[in-house]
Amino acid sequence: MLVAHPDVQTEIRVDFSGSYYEVASNDLKSGAAPQKKLQTAEISLNDCLACSGCITSAESVLISMQSHTEVLNFLENNPEDICVSHKVPVLSIAPQCLASLAASISSSSTAAPVTLRQVLRRVEAFCKTVLGFTQVYDTTFARHIALLEHAKEYRERKAGVGQLPMLASACPGWVCYAEKTHAEMLPFISRTKSPQQVMGTLVKEWFGARWGKSPSQIYHVSVMPCYDKKLEASRQDFFNDVYSTRDVDCVITTGELDLMMRDKGWDLSKPVEGEDLEKDIGDTCHQNGDDIFLNDALPELVNHPGTSSGSYLHSLIANMVQNSPRPVDIDVKAMRSADYEEYTLTERESRTVVFRGAKCYGFRNLQNLVRKVGRDAGLQVGRGAAGKLAGLRGRGLKTRKGEVSAPEIYDYVEVMACPGGCINGGGQLRPPTITQNGGVDHEGFERDWQASGVQLDEEDIGRIQGQGAKWGDKEWTKKVELAYWQAGQPHDSEDVQLPKVNGIKNKTTAVDHASVQILRDLCKPKDLAAQSWLDSVDEEAETRRRKYFRTQYRAVESEVIGLAVKW
Amino acid sequence: MNVDLPGKFELVAELEGHDDRAWHIAWNPTRNLLASCSADKTVRLYNFSSSTNQSDGTTNGLTFTHNTTIPTGHTKTVRAVAWSPSGKTLATASFDANIGIWAQEEDNEEAEDSPSGEWECMSLLEGHETECKSIAYSSTGTLLASCSRDKTVWIWEVHPDSDFECMGVLMEHTQDVKCVAWHPTEEILASASYDDTIKLYLDDPSDDWFCATTLTGHGSTVWTLAWEPLQGGYLASGSDDGTIRIWRRLPVKGELRFDCVAVLEGHDRSVYSISWSPSPPSVVVEGEQQCELGLLASTGGDGIVLIWQITETTEADSGKTVIEHKIVARIDAAHGVFDVNSIAWCPRTGLQDVLATTGDDGHVKVWKIHV
Repeated sequence: MLVAHPDVQTEIRVDFSGSYYEVASNDLKSGAAPQKKLQTAEISLNDCLACSGCITSAESVLISMQSHTEVLNFLENNPEDICVSHKVPVLSIAPQCLASLAASISSSSTAAPVTLRQVLRRVEAFCKTVLGFTQVYDTTFARHIALLEHAKEYRERKAGVGQLPMLASACPGWVCYAEKTHAEMLPFISRTKSPQQVMGTLVKEWFGARWGKSPSQIYHVSVMPCYDKKLEASRQDFFNDVYSTRDVDCVITTGELDLMMRDKGWDLSKPVEGEDLEKDIGDTCHQNGDDIFLNDALPELVNHPGTSSGSYLHSLIANMVQNSPRPVDIDVKAMRSADYEEYTLTERESRTVVFRGAKCYGFRNLQNLVRKVGRDAGLQVGRGAAGKLAGLRGRGLKTRKGEVSAPEIYDYVEVMACPGGCINGGGQLRPPTITQNGGVDHEGFERDWQASGVQLDEEDIGRIQGQGAKWGDKEWTKKVELAYWQAGQPHDSEDVQLPKVNGIKNKTTAVDHASVQILRDLCKPKDLAAQSWLDSVDEEAETRRRKYFRTQYRAVESEVIGLAVKW
Repeated sequence: MNVDLPGKFELVAELEGHDDRAWHIAWNPTRNLLASCSADKTVRLYNFSSSTNQSDGTTNGLTFTHNTTIPTGHTKTVRAVAWSPSGKTLATASFDANIGIWAQEEDNEEAEDSPSGEWECMSLLEGHETECKSIAYSSTGTLLASCSRDKTVWIWEVHPDSDFECMGVLMEHTQDVKCVAWHPTEEILASASYDDTIKLYLDDPSDDWFCATTLTGHGSTVWTLAWEPLQGGYLASGSDDGTIRIWRRLPVKGELRFDCVAVLEGHDRSVYSISWSPSPPSVVVEGEQQCELGLLASTGGDGIVLIWQITETTEADSGKTVIEHKIVARIDAAHGVFDVNSIAWCPRTGLQDVLATTGDDGHVKVWKIHV
């Protein structure tokens, strides 16, 4: 393939492997043209799921349309609020992003570690005073609703409506991968919306109604630890045809938010006024049916003990332990690493296993999970090859001599594509200091790279750290994890569940009340006496609940490579 | 053909049968069995037998017979084959992105040493996004590595009952990965890529596999890799730049480091395949320790097969180690006008001077090298 450029005497040649070469055009015919292999221009999600070739060109466009410059452009061109075309700018930030920022501040100063609340207040101050956002929220209350809906969905599946194991759906990298290469996994993936998309519903539908704004009169930006969240927000399922608007208009990463703050000269390490104050979300003592929310506030920094990726597994376990008629024991088994752990709930008296769950992070573990789930369900995994290779799944099992024990089938798996989970998402800040050479530069001076404004890309970090530099610095990930938990209970695998269960209930009472009000406001059940999110509602309300809090998946045919590949 | 060279090629057998270009060959390490694979999506297996000369122990004749053809079921080209060290399992890497694991049905326990059953696909390893290019078992047979045009290298742990667990997905290369090769004794994996580099990987017991070092120097795609088979102190690489590079592993504690110690020039075009045969014991000559590192066979797009003698010389005074290389045999147009895609020394005792090649003509040729 030849692409001629009108002005210069060189042409771009694309070879059989899809690589680009710059070739002096007059040498083309000779075949022995001096060529320069060109850097392929690509929007890479390598930081995220890293299965290269998984994103299509259409998706590349969708991603490039969501950037911090896009946000700045919008804000600049947003008409005055007296105009009808004015949009209310709202920003929602994920707690993992706050943790990344907190860890970054703490590592570059000797002051006491900052809390997530302090970071949230500072980000809020920046977004409101410098950028002009009207509202700034964190996404933990939306996550709380997602967890409730998730628990409801699990109950439905356990009761026979839908398949088990139920696999978490909050990681868009995993969902994207499954849709493209493991369609057979789709029935297992939870249909509950991710916290980002629940937040989208809250902002556009619930707040929209409260503020007297249509969904298209609100511009909703979310800050996420992950690039794939941009893809998630762009899904057709989250597009409102009536108002031609998305639940989340633009997704930026922690890194992009950090870049915006730097560009505008905002110092996140400086305290802002009232940064330790908890916001008053409202009067939770009101009777059912009353509006308990005050002003424009949502419950803030709702803590969900378990994992820093959203505690999907742990909240299910807590729910089960709470509602179990008989006492149960929890066993945790690490499979090789903390990124793959199995959780088993056993009734204390009868020793009956009532639940098998797992936490499975990282692309590698994900491969084994897909193999296991497929095998346990007797499925042909993957795209498969025709002929003799097909249908051999079951065969392999049959030949196992003397093994009669039934496979230990999971009920639930918290799946995340990134090793270490969302805290180590591809959109998070990179470790700010250089560990390998002790931060000393070529001339022996101590150097704070971040303070000197040196932006390190991944390649730099790899080069500087040299051997052993891997995807996501482990020590750094630990610090971010620590920053994430410092606001609430420290993440300690020993005290994961039982002792905390009662605590969870008390702390979340107010939040649960608020959630039920959201359910009432949006789904409009005929019976207003609903006490809990898990209560059943009438059919019409149920239809609305599914519209607002659930989604769907579909298999995507991979783009066929039309080139006759020799090699 | 260069008549001055001491070594001579003797064509022992020419095996036809593939309907399309033959990509790769692999000698079974424990049985007299040769496997070849092709764009025709099949694997052909050949038995061979040799008669030994009573007086000097040399091999007289070598007879090849077609054993069976595995239709595989791969929907695209079978690009590479690899035997497990036990010789009981064959792995196929295909452009359909899948890896097939094949074993022979064991009809009865007694016949375990020479099973005669049909070859069946015991497992299918999926994961690569696009064309799988190369596959290799580790020296103990407990690990299997594969690589693909999707730029990744995968490491699988071999479990009983043809079960596999994915141990690592290494996304280090920026382009198509052409070849993977395990160290002959240690769990070190090397990969070669269209990005012109070679990468070496180690297992972090407390974590995942990681890229420990990257070797740069080749001016173009690195197609093929071969470790010095006895100690693994050297790695050879063949490239689209027409050269073969020899890399020495440096004795640095706790670190994996390699230096390029020789660049072998002799091919006119891309070097697609190399194979390194074991060496006789080392000798001491006049204050120097000379260590024969065996014979390196190379071939590629120019249709030429070259046999290189690789010698390591350590000067007694300075302790300096030098790698010397010379071409000892050469044959042009080994497969006529066709590219030669693969070359492999026979590992069977008494047959270490036997070499097999495959080409775009779809043929497998077996050569005896007289050096």
